[in-house]
Amino acid sequence: MKKTYLFPYRSKKVSGVVFFLTLFIVLTVILFDLDLIEIPSKVFAVAVDYGVFGKNNGWLMWTEDSITDEILFIPLISSGLIYAFSKEKVEDEMVSKIRLDSLVWATYFNYTLIILSYVFFYGFVFFDVMMIALFSHLLFFIIRFRWMMFKQNKLATDEE
Amino acid sequence: MKNNIKVQRAMVNMTQAELAEKVGVSRQTINAMELGKYVPSTVLALKIAQIFRKTVNEIFELEEAD
Repeated sequence: MKKTYLFPYRSKKVSGVVFFLTLFIVLTVILFDLDLIEIPSKVFAVAVDYGVFGKNNGWLMWTEDSITDEILFIPLISSGLIYAFSKEKVEDEMVSKIRLDSLVWATYFNYTLIILSYVFFYGFVFFDVMMIALFSHLLFFIIRFRWMMFKQNKLATDEE
Repeated sequence: MKNNIKVQRAMVNMTQAELAEKVGVSRQTINAMELGKYVPSTVLALKIAQIFRKTVNEIFELEEAD
């Protein structure tokens, strides 16, 4: 059997629940500008740059910043990756093909939306769009892949 | 690519699920192949032929479009 870069099937359910839960929270936070809720902490930074108003800009240093986005995005992206790339119950060659097709589709779709948002969004709302773009590729892949798998299942059930 | 898996199954009275289990794929995959919506790999085609004790050519056939 060839080596695959997939997580085991048993990790699917838990990661799925965590992903959609954190996705809901993250979208709420972004859409209602709740990222203004700050959790200030001392953090180590590779680079700090607050622009001209920054008192202590610099490299490789300790600094004070809100960790709201860290708390939200680390679980979102890691659970999303595991959910997207864990094996199906019966992982066979057709599933691999559906997965690849969905990945290609999601990549085109995501970057088309990013190009459109460069053209049509300006100012602070563009920053929100970029926050969403951090995980939208995963999300589109998951939606497309699940939809294609659902259609395949339905086709097989109708046949019975 | 055309195939007559459905006919072969009927001849030996085998369900999609049984064939799926024998060759190690999901029933959905067998179904998609029978409907001509999925073209199997060479390995899978050979496995299916082996189950029915036929040659690959007796089950799978090229089409005009291929």
